[in-house]
Amino acid sequence: MSGLQNYKVDYQQILPDLPGQSLAWLQQIRSDAFSAFSDTGFPSLREEEWRYTNISAIEKKLFSPSTNVGSNEIDQAWLDDFCLKDAYTLVIINGRFSKAHSSLKGLPETVTILSMGDALQQKPELVEKYLSKAVANEEHSFVAFNSAWFSDGLFVHLPAQQVLDKPVQLIHLVTKADCLAVSRNILIVEDRAQAEVIETFVGDSNAYLTASVTEIFVENNADLTLYKMQNEGDKAYHFGGTYVKQAKHSRFKHHNFAFGSLLARNDVHTDLDVASECNLNGLYIGVKRQHIDNHTRIKHIQPHAISKEMYKGILNQRAKGVFQGLVFVAENAQKTDSAMNNRNLLLSNDAEADAKPQLEIYADDVKCAHGVTVGQLDEKSIFYLKSRAIDEETARNMLTFAFANEMVGKVDNKELHTMLLAQLLQRFSQKSVDEKWL
Amino acid sequence: MLNIENLHVNVADKAILKGVNLQIKPGEVHAIMGPNGAGKSTLSHILSGKAGYTVTQGKVTYAGKDLLAMEPELRAREGMFLAFQYPVEIPGVSNIYLMKAALNANRKHQGLDEVDAMDFLTLVKDKIKLLQMDEKFLYRAVNEGFSGGEKKRNEILQAAILEPKLCVLDETDSGLDIDALKIVSKAINSLRTEQRSFLMITHYQRMLDYVKPDFVHVLADGRIVKSGGPELALELEEKGYQWVEGEAA
Amino acid sequence: MSSSTKEIENLINQDYKQGFVTELEVETFPPGLDEEVIAKLSKIKNEPSFMLEYRLKAFRHWQTMKEPDWAQLNIEAIDYQSISYYSAPKKKGDGPQSLDEVDPELLETYKKLGIPLDEQERLAGVAVDAVFDSVSVATTFKGKLKDAGVIFCPISEALQEYPELVKKYLGTVVTETDNFFASLNAAVFTDGSFVYIPKGVRCPMELSTYFRINAANTGQFERTLIIADAGSHVSYLEGCTAPMRDENQLHAAVVELVIMDDAEIKYSTVQNWYPGDENGVGGIYNFVTKRAECRGHNAKVSWTQVETGSAITWKYPSCVLLGDNSTGEFYSVALTNNYQQADTGTKMIHIGKNTSSTIISKGISAGKAQNTYRGLVKVGKGAENARNFTQCDSLLVGDKCGAHTFPYIEVKQPSAQVEHEATTSKISEDQLFFCQQRGLSAEDAVSMIVNGFCKEVFKELPMEFAVEAQALLGISLEGSVG
Repeated sequence: MSGLQNYKVDYQQILPDLPGQSLAWLQQIRSDAFSAFSDTGFPSLREEEWRYTNISAIEKKLFSPSTNVGSNEIDQAWLDDFCLKDAYTLVIINGRFSKAHSSLKGLPETVTILSMGDALQQKPELVEKYLSKAVANEEHSFVAFNSAWFSDGLFVHLPAQQVLDKPVQLIHLVTKADCLAVSRNILIVEDRAQAEVIETFVGDSNAYLTASVTEIFVENNADLTLYKMQNEGDKAYHFGGTYVKQAKHSRFKHHNFAFGSLLARNDVHTDLDVASECNLNGLYIGVKRQHIDNHTRIKHIQPHAISKEMYKGILNQRAKGVFQGLVFVAENAQKTDSAMNNRNLLLSNDAEADAKPQLEIYADDVKCAHGVTVGQLDEKSIFYLKSRAIDEETARNMLTFAFANEMVGKVDNKELHTMLLAQLLQRFSQKSVDEKWL
Repeated sequence: MLNIENLHVNVADKAILKGVNLQIKPGEVHAIMGPNGAGKSTLSHILSGKAGYTVTQGKVTYAGKDLLAMEPELRAREGMFLAFQYPVEIPGVSNIYLMKAALNANRKHQGLDEVDAMDFLTLVKDKIKLLQMDEKFLYRAVNEGFSGGEKKRNEILQAAILEPKLCVLDETDSGLDIDALKIVSKAINSLRTEQRSFLMITHYQRMLDYVKPDFVHVLADGRIVKSGGPELALELEEKGYQWVEGEAA
Repeated sequence: MSSSTKEIENLINQDYKQGFVTELEVETFPPGLDEEVIAKLSKIKNEPSFMLEYRLKAFRHWQTMKEPDWAQLNIEAIDYQSISYYSAPKKKGDGPQSLDEVDPELLETYKKLGIPLDEQERLAGVAVDAVFDSVSVATTFKGKLKDAGVIFCPISEALQEYPELVKKYLGTVVTETDNFFASLNAAVFTDGSFVYIPKGVRCPMELSTYFRINAANTGQFERTLIIADAGSHVSYLEGCTAPMRDENQLHAAVVELVIMDDAEIKYSTVQNWYPGDENGVGGIYNFVTKRAECRGHNAKVSWTQVETGSAITWKYPSCVLLGDNSTGEFYSVALTNNYQQADTGTKMIHIGKNTSSTIISKGISAGKAQNTYRGLVKVGKGAENARNFTQCDSLLVGDKCGAHTFPYIEVKQPSAQVEHEATTSKISEDQLFFCQQRGLSAEDAVSMIVNGFCKEVFKELPMEFAVEAQALLGISLEGSVG
């Protein structure tokens, strides 16, 4: 039996167990998605958007939600390293919401934060209004796969003018070998409301597959800051898609930290209405045989929108980093102001960086720029530090740390900033450094 | 030199200037002051021929000719110079090349030969001292990467080279710190002659301390509501624009 | 659209001055392509037998291939059986002709194009090979070049005179299976130029080929092969024009450059094929494969192109930097107007150590045209200390056109430094007004701005071509060259 066939057969077995069985509209979405996925299988290198990322391993091996049996015992102390103390927390373990680990204490009544399973039961009309509206199955077959297979997720709805007092943290945890964890998240921030959301992906050292899609609606003049911390286990496969619809004058900030997994692919797409603004920041750090593919698409659909993007990669040993970015400016999107940047640091002979920053422009009165650099640490700087009595290794660490810290420095959330800084310091140890200096 | 009679101007069907009258004789320095939105920039643009304005009434004669019927470049060649409030950047075109091309276009119009390259360089290097600008600005692309103050100095440098008959200075003092303002003012003063006229458009009285006008006019709601000598500017500074806006209503 | 935007567009619009047809007696194959046609073609050219084998191999492979569809191009389906694959002016005798045997009509044609071929009026310091439809009709200064040891002749003549030399290099840079249009070219190419610069020779004059498509319903498939042996140097220019016709015509050329140790080739193109009319009817499909291989140490190749013609341009002059310390350069100005489409750029393949490449691409879009830069910078594992700098800028004129930038950057070597920068901007009405306020006409202002935008590329062109290129872009010369 071919790998794809395995997935199809497995799907029929797990389907009755997926949430929303009584909802006809959802069953329609799932069956359309399943047939779309069945037609093509997982994306292949022949597709332009996937030319640098070979995911045939996923297709060959059967990852299945059915492996999720037995207890969900987890090491709380280990998990605590990833959890914010001061947040509304929703935990998904092996693809399913875990009420026991979650905490939504003190949530204002006007705000909805639910697991996707619960949202489909308690607020099906609200979910129906938004599900599959920010991204279509045609986008690529991983999205279709997610629509068919998703078993849970996070649902957040903020009413107009609500400013959420604490961040929302989604912890997505996988603890089982060969587990398939597929989650679908929806975040809605109504007019002039404001929220901060953190998606954290962690897992143990087994091989497993996370496939997560987040649909986001930032309405008129609303604000959303989304952090993604991808700290998957070192044998894990990770697909994450973030698809955003930004209404007029809205602001969306994304900070994407990709440190984990064996193979990770991340999509961030945003569609910009009049005078809306997006900031996409990314930092990917690859070691050993890690493969980290970042894919962004910013569509300026209406005039006066602003997009600023900066992705940085540090690649060591045999790691491979990919950045594919597209800025699309529609005919109507005059006065667009866009800047896209990608900077890569190659630290070893076997590391590789591939970049494809694209501009597609159909309007004439625009200011668009993009830049890419690939290189190694500046030898002059290393020499300068050495001349100040610093040893070579420390010098290299200092410079690499500084390169990465620019992205961590953009994180406004204090707890998260501390957490990320600790991770950086662990990777690029800085001897006797005072945190205040950084 | 310049005679504006009952000038009414619309922008996108909205009346901005509602009957402006102004007469400038050779050698005179006039200042037009006014609050934001009074129509100051519209006046400078309509004089220099920028598109997008509709004259609904009135006329403007310049050196006896119908100014409004002339193309922008013809106005320039006839000696009307506008120092822009926001000078544009032109990547790839060096400052010195633009100035030479402009000077030659003006000379050709006057029936003169093109300026010799060496003579031109001498001229430019002489004038640039006046503005205390570094010579490297000559070889940089027009206004590209210039600070706000450098752009304004560059405007006056071009005026010094083109030697116009009438200089319209649109908010030349904005973006200048006090030292730069002194340099620019000194350069403007050195350009004053018996024949050359100036029209300074400004929100603040500040520049008028350094470039003394012969006449000060207050523009409010599309009309000149008050005219007087330099003392008017001081009075305005003291009492604020509310003082004259009442009279406009 | 405001009036002054329209004004800017009008300034860019120019009549196509090379659109006339020359009336001649010609020999043309009936439309269609099969092995028999290829055999006939090879026979009429009296080719050595290896050529027929080569062509048939290419043709058989081509039949298994599909047209590429990855470019952002809107192409009407091409019926390859409706094209005639050979059209040539009837000759009076056999063999290569001397200049005074050439049909006066032809001489007149080239004279009208500004390329006088007769002895007195020749472009000083430039040797010209004139390719008319499927064949080379004249080559100037052959004798003088021969004295210097330089071979410059039609490739069909080279196959007669120097078959071993051609055989050694033909198809070694662009193989007969490289891509759809390269395979087609390998099967049916009819003529083109052959250049061999021997060791240590600095070619005493500029070499140039002028391509002219005249006949209707034909395609032009030329093949250019230039070999710069160790320590040699040559500057080569090509120009192209065609009559105005309502049908699209196919031009699928292959250019191969081989550069050995310490040698240098400078290859310049001013491409002005008929672009179609203002409604997008007619025009040349310009699908070209150009590649240079720097095989030796310190080899250097420089591509400079000014692309203003063709309904569709699809070409990526590439540099394979095999030799250590070799250098590749690509300078391009592509202007598209009305319904023209251009998908062009370059590939820089760094394989040797200390190789460096520079890409300067300037795209100007006006009317309803679409202009795409597509480029690849690839640094292989062994390419220590490779350097690349890429700057690609787009200028938009009007609000119905598009400018697109698709760079691919692939780096497998940590000591490499790769930099890519791109900007997109427009000629703004404010810039134009500013210049007018200084007394310049709108026309001069536009030409100054366009010129400023392109000057990094123009300064790479040989003087004679810089003049032509600027004339093509409708811009004045002052202050631009040098």
